[in-house]
Amino acid sequence: MMQRYDFLKVIAGDAADALAVCTGWGAREWWALRPGDSNLKTRTLGLVSSIAAGLALALPHRKVIAIDGDGAFLMNLCGLPTIALQSPPNLIHLLFDNECYEASGGTPTASHLADAVALAIGAGYKHATWVKTPGDFRSEFVQAWKRNQLTLIAAKVEPGQPGDLPPLRLDEIENKYRFMRYLEETEKRGILSSGFDSKL
Amino acid sequence: MALIFLDNTGAFAVSVAKQISNLRLKIHQNMDAKQQAARIVAGLKKAGIDFVATLPDEKMVEVIRSVEDDPGLKHIPLCREEEGIGICAGAYLAGKKTALIMQNAGFLNSCNALTTTCLQFQIPTLLLIYYAGDIGDRGFTTLGSVTEPALQALGIRYAILRKTDEIDEMLRGAQILAEDSKKPVAVLLTKNVLGVK
Repeated sequence: MMQRYDFLKVIAGDAADALAVCTGWGAREWWALRPGDSNLKTRTLGLVSSIAAGLALALPHRKVIAIDGDGAFLMNLCGLPTIALQSPPNLIHLLFDNECYEASGGTPTASHLADAVALAIGAGYKHATWVKTPGDFRSEFVQAWKRNQLTLIAAKVEPGQPGDLPPLRLDEIENKYRFMRYLEETEKRGILSSGFDSKL
Repeated sequence: MALIFLDNTGAFAVSVAKQISNLRLKIHQNMDAKQQAARIVAGLKKAGIDFVATLPDEKMVEVIRSVEDDPGLKHIPLCREEEGIGICAGAYLAGKKTALIMQNAGFLNSCNALTTTCLQFQIPTLLLIYYAGDIGDRGFTTLGSVTEPALQALGIRYAILRKTDEIDEMLRGAQILAEDSKKPVAVLLTKNVLGVK
């Protein structure tokens, strides 16, 4: 079986312009594959999909990808119907299911029983599918991008990642500011307030 | 027989009168709630809010209806309040001015997200919280008793909105504070200001 990195690697080029919201080890892998300020790493277990959905709803003309894990996905099951109700067409929800809480010590999740694609379809996602190979993953990803409808693409993966991943050299607040400044530049409008000397 | 018949008619008339009076009271209350809801939503818009996630308490149904009906507000109905913090945080990053409307039980449901998303990333949002278990509110007294201490423990500044003529100023002020401090700020809504019994 492949690891998450093997799947992420094949879409890094296709997703060059996407805003990416990631969690856990997936974040460090994604940053290594597609570095830049259009990446955001979340800290609340479960909320990666909800934060990505909020971003997608606020920026309907941009592509947003959520890089989710099974632990986070299962923690935020109630977020799925909320996302499906809005169905932001520009959101591609990626799920890498290694059947464990990899970033929290590797103990098992319930995802060997709970079928993520069935859960998403049950919650109201119109498009949700399992893929087995990086090739199929890429083809589903490209299709979802073109179709422009809310889609979940899920893959079972082995835990683990390459040993030579560069560390993330930023904290949450720096990550937030850089992400927002990137949006300001690319959207060509002010988002953050003008700053502490604006009242002088 | 006739007497009994008359008696029954009288009782029926009294019962009808009571029902009409109750109905009038209900309609009156409902009109109050609608009027107050319109004021609160107008206040939110004057404060710049354009993106609102909600999960209902019975007392806030009219406010949520007004949010839903307002074309100037993006309304996101939630399944659990904590995911609403995530959605609002994502929308904030892209420039939306966000608010979350919920009961205080929902605020307690959101504490981890408030801490590890809003506070940790310095992301503001306006929390409009129905103060169940407030002084004079029946039921939910346990919830009422932990609400303010929990807000204080998180370092979230809050104000209690009790008077209609304070709606605009307080919502505007809370939003200024949220944006400037880059933290969530809470406004606790009471029955009086919601126009409900």
